[in-house]
Amino acid sequence: MSSCVLEEESFHRCCQLLLQQSQQLGDGWSWEPVQGSQEGYLRKTALRSVAIDPRPVRDQAGSSSDCGQEEEQSAPVASADADTIRSDAEDEDDEDEGVCAACDGGSQVLQYEYHVLFSCSYRTPVLYFRASTLEGRSLSLEEVWGSVHPNFRVRLQSSPLSTVTQQEHPLLGQPFFMLHPCRTEEFMRPVLQAAQDQHRPVNYVLTWLSVVGPVVGLDVPLQYSTQLHPAASVCMDPADDGPG
Amino acid sequence: MADDKDVLRDVWFGRIPTCFTLNQDEVTEREAEPYYLLLPRVSYLTLVTDKVKKHFLKVMKAEDVEEMWFEYEGTPLKWHYPIGVLFDLHASNTVLPWSITVHFKSFPDSDLLHCPSNSVIEAHFMSSIKEADALKHKSQVVNDMQKKDHKQLWMGLQNDKFDQFWAMNRKLMEYPTEEGGFRYIPFRIYQTMSDRPFIQKQFRPVSPEGNVHTLGSLLKEMYPAAIPSDGEQKRYQVMIHGIEPLLETPLQWLSEHLSHPDNFLHICIIPTPTD
Repeated sequence: MSSCVLEEESFHRCCQLLLQQSQQLGDGWSWEPVQGSQEGYLRKTALRSVAIDPRPVRDQAGSSSDCGQEEEQSAPVASADADTIRSDAEDEDDEDEGVCAACDGGSQVLQYEYHVLFSCSYRTPVLYFRASTLEGRSLSLEEVWGSVHPNFRVRLQSSPLSTVTQQEHPLLGQPFFMLHPCRTEEFMRPVLQAAQDQHRPVNYVLTWLSVVGPVVGLDVPLQYSTQLHPAASVCMDPADDGPG
Repeated sequence: MADDKDVLRDVWFGRIPTCFTLNQDEVTEREAEPYYLLLPRVSYLTLVTDKVKKHFLKVMKAEDVEEMWFEYEGTPLKWHYPIGVLFDLHASNTVLPWSITVHFKSFPDSDLLHCPSNSVIEAHFMSSIKEADALKHKSQVVNDMQKKDHKQLWMGLQNDKFDQFWAMNRKLMEYPTEEGGFRYIPFRIYQTMSDRPFIQKQFRPVSPEGNVHTLGSLLKEMYPAAIPSDGEQKRYQVMIHGIEPLLETPLQWLSEHLSHPDNFLHICIIPTPTD
């Protein structure tokens, strides 16, 4: 059976492809190199109009270590994909209009900054992000949870994406929020397996981003998939498990 | 192996005498006396400073108190690093006791993670253990453990119970004899000379040719400047738990014996004192 891990080299290749497409689509991704090394990360900033939901969200601390085994297994990939890849994604300025319409509370414009890094421990991409008001005040973990759409919140609690925690950005040393990667391989496996079986090209980073991004307001336009150029885009690795 | 067991104890019971002083800009009703404490090297600042907090709150009004944080000579101290790492990185080669300033306002959001409760420390600690096991055993050992086993690791650390912790932690230290070590060594190399907080990559305990990797071979790959070339004066100290292990020490042995309870080998590189 093939392994569904991502090697650092392929991560870079996937990122390059994503950047090429991003340039064509003009949706603002860039590559930020880390001084004095080969490493770096994908970066994008976006303004989001977010409905502020005053209801308390969840016990942020108690469950945050539980990216654990005992949580029930749902099938988030298919459902999340279907619900969250928005057909009106080309309309960038209006991307959150659906969210606003769904809520009665007030809304607020927030500045979001998204980083995609490679985790060499889990050998997966990891999404880091931070959010601030236009006046520059950083959002707390509770506020970030509050800005996740209620429909997502409910689903998150029973899915492998269930963990948003505050963590140190491993390249910048600053506090960021992070979607925990420890179950990424698990939910990516069926997608990659299917693509491989059908000899369909797949960009690991792009596919992964389309699943985890919408949770925190980061939409991946459908054109990424419709414009995917088959010849250049197989970014999956054969198994590399080394000794053992 | 009896000697090696002693190493585990020595690491666990390492203490740093510390003097906590209230930041002079805090509003107090009367003068705050400093507070002295022996800090366990392997624990976390926010986990062992309840007494410090209580001590200073006695002289403060409730409305002047926000989230507590610590600073050493202008540097906010990251509670999510083990205490010993903070000391080695920022304060080794200085006089004891370690003098830490306590703050109750102006939390430095852009430098420090918030720590509203011990469950946040627990989450951070368990997440490090899981990450380390992903490197060592592809997560197999930690995933085979039960919730109560995870709890035992945490409670062992929280309550400073060496035997309770190690009864479980030894499972995380096992490996197939024929492989000569873990899959990868969970390590982090810290330095204060650049913005990047630490270096963490994949590194095996044994080379493809079957040679045992040492602390020196790790540094040669990750931080060559830390190894003095022939005839050159030593520019850096390579510290783990306040000592400078020989560069010839096998990495696998270091990982088993000098790792912190979070299962990472934390290595500090600091400029050699000039005097």
